[in-house]
Formats: sequence, C-alpha cells, structure tokens
Amino acid sequence: MARKSIAVVFAGSGGSGAMSAGAVFLRASATAGYYGMMTQLFGAQVRGGESAALVQISTEPIETQPDHYDLFVALDWEKVEQFAAEIPLDETSAIIADPEAGAVPAGIAKSKGRMVSLKMTDPHVSRLERALHGKRVNMFAVGAVCALIGIDDQHVRSAIENIFEGKAADLIAANMNGAGAGAAAVPGLTLNLLLDPAVPAARWLISGNQALALGALRAGVRFVGCYPITPATDLVEWLAPHLQKLGGRLVLGEDELASINLTLGASYAGTPAMTVTSGPGFSLMVETLGLAVAAEIPMVLIDVMRAGPSTGIASKTEQSDVNLAIYGAHGDAPRVVLAPVSVADCINTAEYAVYVAESLQLPVIVLSDQSIGQATTVIDPGNERPKPLPRRTNGVVAGKAFKRYAIGPDPVTPMPAPGTAGYEWVAEGLTHSEVGLPASGAGIHVAQINKRAKKLQKFDPGKYWGESWGRGEVAVLAFGSTIGPAREAARRLAVGGNPIRVIALRVLSPLPITAIARALDGVRRIIVVEQNHSAQLYHHLIGQKAIPPSAESVARPGPLPYRPSEIASYIV
Amino acid sequence: MGDTATKPGPDQAYCVYSAKDFSSGAHPVWCPGCGDYGVLAGLERALAKLGRRPHEVVLVSGIGCSSRLPGYMSTYGFHGVHGRALPVATGIKLTRPDLEVIVVGGDGDGYSIGGNHFIHACRRNVDMLYVVMDNRVYGMTKGQPSPTTEPDWDSDIAPGGIGLRPFNPLAIAVASGANYVARGFAGDPDGLANLILDGIRWPGFAFLEVMSPCVTFRPEQREWKKMVRPSAISVVQDRAAATALVLADDGFSMGVLYRGDRASIGPALKPEITVADVEREFALGG
Repeated sequence: MARKSIAVVFAGSGGSGAMSAGAVFLRASATAGYYGMMTQLFGAQVRGGESAALVQISTEPIETQPDHYDLFVALDWEKVEQFAAEIPLDETSAIIADPEAGAVPAGIAKSKGRMVSLKMTDPHVSRLERALHGKRVNMFAVGAVCALIGIDDQHVRSAIENIFEGKAADLIAANMNGAGAGAAAVPGLTLNLLLDPAVPAARWLISGNQALALGALRAGVRFVGCYPITPATDLVEWLAPHLQKLGGRLVLGEDELASINLTLGASYAGTPAMTVTSGPGFSLMVETLGLAVAAEIPMVLIDVMRAGPSTGIASKTEQSDVNLAIYGAHGDAPRVVLAPVSVADCINTAEYAVYVAESLQLPVIVLSDQSIGQATTVIDPGNERPKPLPRRTNGVVAGKAFKRYAIGPDPVTPMPAPGTAGYEWVAEGLTHSEVGLPASGAGIHVAQINKRAKKLQKFDPGKYWGESWGRGEVAVLAFGSTIGPAREAARRLAVGGNPIRVIALRVLSPLPITAIARALDGVRRIIVVEQNHSAQLYHHLIGQKAIPPSAESVARPGPLPYRPSEIASYIV
Repeated sequence: MGDTATKPGPDQAYCVYSAKDFSSGAHPVWCPGCGDYGVLAGLERALAKLGRRPHEVVLVSGIGCSSRLPGYMSTYGFHGVHGRALPVATGIKLTRPDLEVIVVGGDGDGYSIGGNHFIHACRRNVDMLYVVMDNRVYGMTKGQPSPTTEPDWDSDIAPGGIGLRPFNPLAIAVASGANYVARGFAGDPDGLANLILDGIRWPGFAFLEVMSPCVTFRPEQREWKKMVRPSAISVVQDRAAATALVLADDGFSMGVLYRGDRASIGPALKPEITVADVEREFALGG
C-alpha cells in the first residue's frame, strides 16, 4: 500500500552536503507534483558544524512538522546525535546508513528504528574523480530516496540543475551521476516507501521569509533599513538585490536604532518602508516605535521571532515576543500587530500590513518566527490579494491653514510628502499642537492621545481578522507557527469522530473581539496554544475579555516545535 | 510636485527669498543670549541665498535645546528622538535626492547618544549638511557635562569635573570620511551662513561644528567671541594633514578645515523589473 506522505531527514557533519541534499529532494518532489516543506537544523558553528535537512513530502499541503520521521539518511555519523531531540524517530522509522560510516550512535539507535544498510559509493567512480569532487554521498542518497518513493529521475536531474545553477559543468555531471547511482542501488533494498501518485499543478516553492518580503514588495515597499540578525537575515539578503532591480534600496544600518530611523525617514519622505529584525533587534527599535506612533508615520516592522530573552537561541524558534510587540514602548502607543497564519499567508499578511500602516499612519508589526520564516514550502499561490489602502496625502480643507495633526472627526489626517508646496510640516515626537509644534498643555496632550487611539478604535480588519476551520464545540486558538500543528491535530481527531474548531488569529492587536466571539459561537471549551512560557497571548486575550476565564492555556517555550500529537493528546 | 515655478539653479545670482521667508514665526524656547539664535539666523540667511524654496528643504533633528530648531523654520521638518537624527535624514535623502536635507542638533545629541550614527554618517557620505551647535553642556536637562565638556568643569552630577578627555568631533569626522569639515561661531551669523551654504553645495556629507555658547549654564563661554579667529590653514583631500590640523588646533580656528573629493552615494536606480518578474522566480515551472 502506498502512503500519502513521508518525512525524511538528511543529516551529517558540516560539509557533508545535507542541505543541498534536502534542497534537491524537495525541488525534485515539488516538480513531480507533490507538496513539501523543508526546515533546517544547524549546530552553532559558522562552518563545520553538524547539520540536518528535514523534508516532508505529501500529496496534501504541509503546514506542520511531523510527529516523527519515516526515514533518516545518515550522510555520516559525526555529531549527528546532538539533534536527536529535534528529530523524533520510532520503531516505524527506517535508518539508512553506509556500513563504512561506522557504528550508529546510541541516541539514534535507541529509537529502535529499522536499520537499512546501503553502500553509498558509486562503483563506477574512479579514484581520480573522487579526489576531484570529494567523497560526498549526498546526491547518491537523494537518488536513492527519490527512487524509493517513486519520483522520476527527470525531476531529480532538473532539480540538480536548478540547485547547482552556475556551478562547474563537471560538478553538476558528478552530482547527476551520484544520484543515478543511488537510484540504481535501490532495487537491492527491501524497503517500501512508495508515495501515492502526485497531482501536478502550478505551484510555488517559497520560504516564509521570502513570502513576507514578496508581500511587502507587492504593497509597494521600496525602502528597507535593517541590520543582520538571525533568523531574519535571509529575508533581507533575498530582498536586497530584488529591491535594487525594482528601483528601491536596502540600507544596512550601523545598528537597529539606525535601521528603524532610516526606515522612518524614508517613509516620512513618501516611500512605503519597512524594517526587518528579530527579538534582540526589536528591543533596540522600541524607542523609535514610539516616535512612529507620536509623529504618525507609517512603517512596517517584521519580527522573525527566535528563542529569548536576551540573545537566547539565535537559530531556533519561539513565540515569545507577543508582549513586546503589543505593549512595548513607554506611554500610550497604539499600533497594529499581525501574524501570518501559514507560510503561504505570509505574502498576504505582509501586503496587508503595509496597507494598514500606510492608511492609519502608524507602525504595524508582523510577528513571524523562525519556524515559519525558514521553512521552504510548496504552496498554491492564491489569486486573492488585499485591497490597497493608500496613504492620505491630500484633503486639506480649502481656505484653512494646514494642520498636520488636526483634531476632527477623522483621526487620520493628511500627511503631504516633503516637496509639496504650501504644507510644510514638522514630524514631531514631543506632545504637539495641531500644527505640530511642541506643547505641554493638558488639553493638547489628551486630544492628541485620543486622536491616535481613535485610529485603532475605527480600525476594522474585516475578513483579515483571522481564519476559522471546523465546527466542533472545542476550539483551539492559535497564531503563527502553532496553527499548522493545531490544524493537523484537529484533522486527526475529526477522523476519530471528535470535531475540533481551530481559530487562527491574524490580527493580534487590537484584538478583533467581535470576530473572535463569532468564531467561538457554540464553543464550550477554549484552548489557547502558544510557544512561550508565560502564556503571553492567553493573558492578552483574557485581559481584553476576548475569551472567558474558563479558557485553558497550553504554553511552553521553544525551541522544539509543537507536534500535532502533542496538541491532540492535550485535547483528549 | 505640482509646482510650476522655475527651479532656481544652485549658483543663481538673484535671490527670490529673504531670510524671513524661512522663519515659521514660532517663538524659540531658547534663553536670551543663547548662541542657537545666531545659528537659526545663519540658516535662514543661507537658505535665502541658496534659492531653494522652503518646501524643498527638510530640517531633521534629535532632542535637546538646539534640536528644537526645525519648528522655528518654514521648511519641512522632522523632530525625532534623542540622537537619531542622522539615520532619519539618511532615509529621507536616499529616497528623495531632490530634497535639500539639513540635520541640526547639539553636542550631547550628536556626539554622545548619537555618536555611533555620527561615525557612520561620515562613512556613508550621503549628500547632506550636519550642523552641530556645540555648547559643551546638556542644557535642556540643566547643566550636565557633555562629551565635549572640559574635564575639570564642575557640576552637580560630576563634582570636581567629569575627568574625561573631550571628544574631538572634527578629528572623528575627518577620520570617518566626512567630505567637508568646518567650524563656525554662532556670534557671526553671516560667516555661518557662508559656511552653511558652502557645506550644502559641497558634495557628500558636510559637517559643520558651531561653537554656540550656553549663557545660562556656561556663562564663561561669552568669552568665546574674543577667542575665535579664522583658520590659517584649510586642507584639501589629504586626510592625514587634516587630522593633524584638527588634532593640533586649540578649537578656536574658524572656517573650512577640510574638503574631500569622495563621491557621494549614488542616486536610486531605475526599475529594471516588475514584481511579477520577481514572482516568477518562485514558480516551479514545467
């Protein structure tokens, strides 16, 4: 009997080619018509540490890490054991290794997975060729795995061409030969890993970080101020050349203080602008977040969350910046906080974030995380996009002197770009009068606080508040990367006759209270799932009276991802 | 942007604006006798001579007495947070090279909390002018030693003196890559106007340190008017010679001390592709 999905690990020491093995395998499967997702595990070393590519392939979309891996392919056994906790294996798993690689480490062997011995050297390769191209067995492994699950050789070959584009022709040929030898070795194995046939369609291969960047580009972002920080760096590295070709600019600041101020300056000057960071950088940016609120200047801040506090774990995931995003800043500083509901949704959520920022003239924070950001995923690109909401630059009342911060029925007041004659105004971070001059009177202070608060009171995200699936009386409320495992848990429980509702929040602040109440209609048990120790989202929901005190909280820190079984076993 | 008037050239002989046209009319918070009035006057006179219209100019500042200045002028302005004016101005200029961007502030704002931005703004060499009104004291918080304060200056927060070697902003600017380094005196608004105009017109990052007395907390600075003198030397290109000059100087030499020939950061590129082209990179194809 063929299976619907398979979860495969390619693991080895740094330089073993585990990541390119994963990338080729994912792309070959995707062009063959399967859905897929790849995440990566690295040791802390910059070079030469252990690494593992975790790849899932399925006939259906994938939004979660699996409960366990079906196949573990050891390219070598050096240091691989350090990942044991993050690569769950059990007695149903198969472990492929070359007998020449040595003994199986205890941490892997204790899974009781079935050992499959495979000599991963191509018998046709001469010693000279091996000396030229190294002893890597990664493409041999990919060829073997693809043959085992039934992916045609042509897809493997085209994936190798794509992944190694620009490399020397003899290296590409050597990789093709390696993959071919791997496929040829498969008939000798007694291992049935065949997948159901794929249904090809026009799909995209994209990471969450790239998807956020693309959404921002779609919305017109043409300036990015940033500072390198894991796990957000690959987002800006992808953006830099694309922004350049689009006539925009990415500026590397001297620190995050500079990055967010560069961004705010560009936005003030009339260009939709964004900064991209992770927790430690976000902490530094909070100062200017308040300035964006007070001076009423649009900007988008993307936080690809990692484990905190302080430097935490740079390369691993957590959802622990909720409080910082919603409440971080001194004074009353209204802002909008959004979170993507999936890798695919990163595109629309980022595009929407820019529109909200531009139309309300305030900072919008997008809370992504390492788990979503660095997951390369096969998605069905949607046709539907958020409706543009432009910045208000005109609309000055005729015959009246221009007041940038005028108090009136509409809290969003025109902000002409510099260079526009007759409307010269000063962006002001001090409490200011309607014309924007510093003032310290009580009446002015309260009036401007109210003006800015009113922008959020009038903000209606409509259908962008979030998503809801299922009609059960038990509801799981989640955001970001916990939505995927929650949905998979719900699917499994539904099969067992236990319908579960999953409610995914896109707008974390201001909370869409009415939409949440509607989504909770008929629910008798609410479970809030999040990946931080202090139940930050849960307390936010309780504090805003969006959920009753009887709601339950499932909150634990990262970096281990939530797995569907963990959520399912809590529910039942 | 909707204007039909002819854009005046940078070296036009006639003057369409008077200094008054660049004043917002708002009353400054500064104490009577504050040097910053002279800098405000110098800026208004320089802009009147420059010939660019108020809406084509953006004044950017941080926090402190002198950082209040944008509100007193009729141009566009950005009064941000303490120490961060330079990155804001960089974001403005890089996206809108058509605007004249001038950054103003004090010694605490620019050399202490914003010190890192100062170094990197010099390195970046974006075409703008940075005017620091240096009075060697934190005035708005009522008299604490700043990075340029003399080591033995007595204050409540540092009894007997802070005991630290003063920061040398001109040496830092020269070493970090500023393309124009000058020193002026607030008591000479016309001389300042000339330095401001010169700095605006010089390509790249122009740094103008202005000795601007704080008569309230540093009344002894009233004596500065007797001590300032034109610099005998002005270095062109040679950064080593310029560094030697500003390190050896007693701090009272006025004028342009250094002019470099670094090319400023280039203008924004023209779009070569569309977002749809970007999207195609993700399509699995075939």
